[in-house]
Amino acid sequence: MIVRFLPFTYAARNLGRSKARLAMSVGGAMLVALLAMGGTAFVLGMDGALRASGIDRNVVLLGAGSEESAERSEIAAATPGIVVASLRGIAAIDGIPLASPEVNVALTVDARGAGRDEPDAGGLVRGITPTAFLVHPQVRIRAGRTPTAGSDEVMLGRSAARAAGFDDAALARMLDAGTEPPQVRIDGRACRIVGLFDAPGTVMDGEAWMPLTDVLVLTRRETVSAVVLTLAPGATVGQVDAFAQRRIDLELSAIHEPEYYAVQGAFFRPVQVMVAASAGLVALGALLGGLNTMYGAFASRVRELAMLQVLGYGRIAVVASMAQEALIATMAGALAAAALAAAFLDGIAIHFSMGTFALVVDERTVAVGLAAGLITGIAGCMAPAVHCLRMPIPSALKAD
Amino acid sequence: MAAIECRALRKDYRRGDEVIHTLMDVDLSIDAGGFVALMGPSGSGKTTLLNLLAGIDRPTAGSIAVDGTEITRLGRGALAAWRSGTVGYVFQLYNLVPVLTAYENVELPLLLHPLTRAERHRRVSEALELVGLAARHSHLPRQLSGGQEQRVAIARAIVTRPRLLLADEPTGDLDRESAAQVMDLLARLNRELGQTIVMVTHDPATALRALRTVHLEKGSIVDATVRAEAAP
Repeated sequence: MIVRFLPFTYAARNLGRSKARLAMSVGGAMLVALLAMGGTAFVLGMDGALRASGIDRNVVLLGAGSEESAERSEIAAATPGIVVASLRGIAAIDGIPLASPEVNVALTVDARGAGRDEPDAGGLVRGITPTAFLVHPQVRIRAGRTPTAGSDEVMLGRSAARAAGFDDAALARMLDAGTEPPQVRIDGRACRIVGLFDAPGTVMDGEAWMPLTDVLVLTRRETVSAVVLTLAPGATVGQVDAFAQRRIDLELSAIHEPEYYAVQGAFFRPVQVMVAASAGLVALGALLGGLNTMYGAFASRVRELAMLQVLGYGRIAVVASMAQEALIATMAGALAAAALAAAFLDGIAIHFSMGTFALVVDERTVAVGLAAGLITGIAGCMAPAVHCLRMPIPSALKAD
Repeated sequence: MAAIECRALRKDYRRGDEVIHTLMDVDLSIDAGGFVALMGPSGSGKTTLLNLLAGIDRPTAGSIAVDGTEITRLGRGALAAWRSGTVGYVFQLYNLVPVLTAYENVELPLLLHPLTRAERHRRVSEALELVGLAARHSHLPRQLSGGQEQRVAIARAIVTRPRLLLADEPTGDLDRESAAQVMDLLARLNRELGQTIVMVTHDPATALRALRTVHLEKGSIVDATVRAEAAP
């Protein structure tokens, strides 16, 4: 049997019956889609940053018992030297072994020392040696130079600079021009900003990098957090792991860098779930509001929908028309939400204890938003469709 | 040959434990080209009978044959298709779609038929011409008077050239002048085009415009009057 559908103009023009209802349907769907996209952008951004931060050829050596967290890890200051001397399979450039001892600490990064009226910003500070730029090739110096040890100097990642209240482009121009650099107070100590680096899409973009020895002094530490190694061709993670297990005296554990960041991702999974759940709960409220509006729009037309059946239109045709009508409104809302997300959410820097990541509004995020609009539309028309079409036609024809 | 043949038609409704007998063993034959008015007090079952004839309600027992088709045996989909080709229905409250023009409202039932746009246009124009509203084809229902709305509804009911035109209190919501125009139109459709019409009405004067009046009371036919000629 051929199903003959109602004309599209019927569905489209019905939207204009009540402008207030239309605005509420579109607005409700927009809110639902925007929240769904916000939650997705958060999860994708964090996962993407953690994934991009790990390099396949890198291995991280942490203090044994640090539960795979660099911030909790402690390695004796002499250990990196012992590792370089004892472990085969470390890559080298011009004779420099690619082994980077690092300290990772969370400290306040405050730009008010330079006369700026910006609040304190919590930031991750990494104490480094020049080798850090070799083992972390994602990091590129954008302006200025690397900080010199003992000179109270620091270089900031682009996101870290923004978080401290600087315009990164202006800061880069200032550094290139060689004018007196601005200062930041790191854990209360005034430091000159001498460089700006990019590490796009990685957590390092949100870090402040200082000479390793300066951070040890600043934090009164005698131990480093980790040693990041780049493997020579043919060397394996298993070799490093075997070394760490053999040298019990060094109290090390080895972890493949991508796995290290995956573990961090798992650590932050509850945060992601909470963000997604919060967005979901608010979206549910908006969804229910939207459903109520759409229910009202259809329920007030019970008699008209019955009349269409009297004319000979089947239930499928009537439901299809209701779905068209609901979907025009909700997909318009979802598209508006996608435009807003692309304009205002994409790239927003979110700071967390591992550094910084940017909200990601890409085709996956938009697909989630459009799916949210689709679900809102279908759910919005189904309840009134069941209500209207389950009613016997003679009863529906008597409806007010 | 009878256009409609109802035999032992019964319709019961259940309200809790109570069974309400709305129609009880109704036998009714209506000839092709007939014009029948169903009269009776509220709750007598006249609208229920009309709904059964339209195939929008199902009898508890009995049979209804329209032009030889036993409609009580048709499934929901087949019944909808049968309605679209056989029945035109005029409602007391017109039931025009407010967002569609008079033309589009009249065209609505034709979209269920495999017709070209040109053929649809020809038929809609003819129907609107017949009800005297060709000039109002682009008006929305809110731009028409009640009588005009009902005439558009009649155009919508006849545009598919149905064998059976059913009208539920077609003048019930109209002033006297508009009601007269609508009844003139129905009488003309019956007289000039041989349209079979079954109409529910409370008004004896309106019933006189039909060729036959069937009185119902408590679900049964109690009286039937046949006139050689309808009242003018």
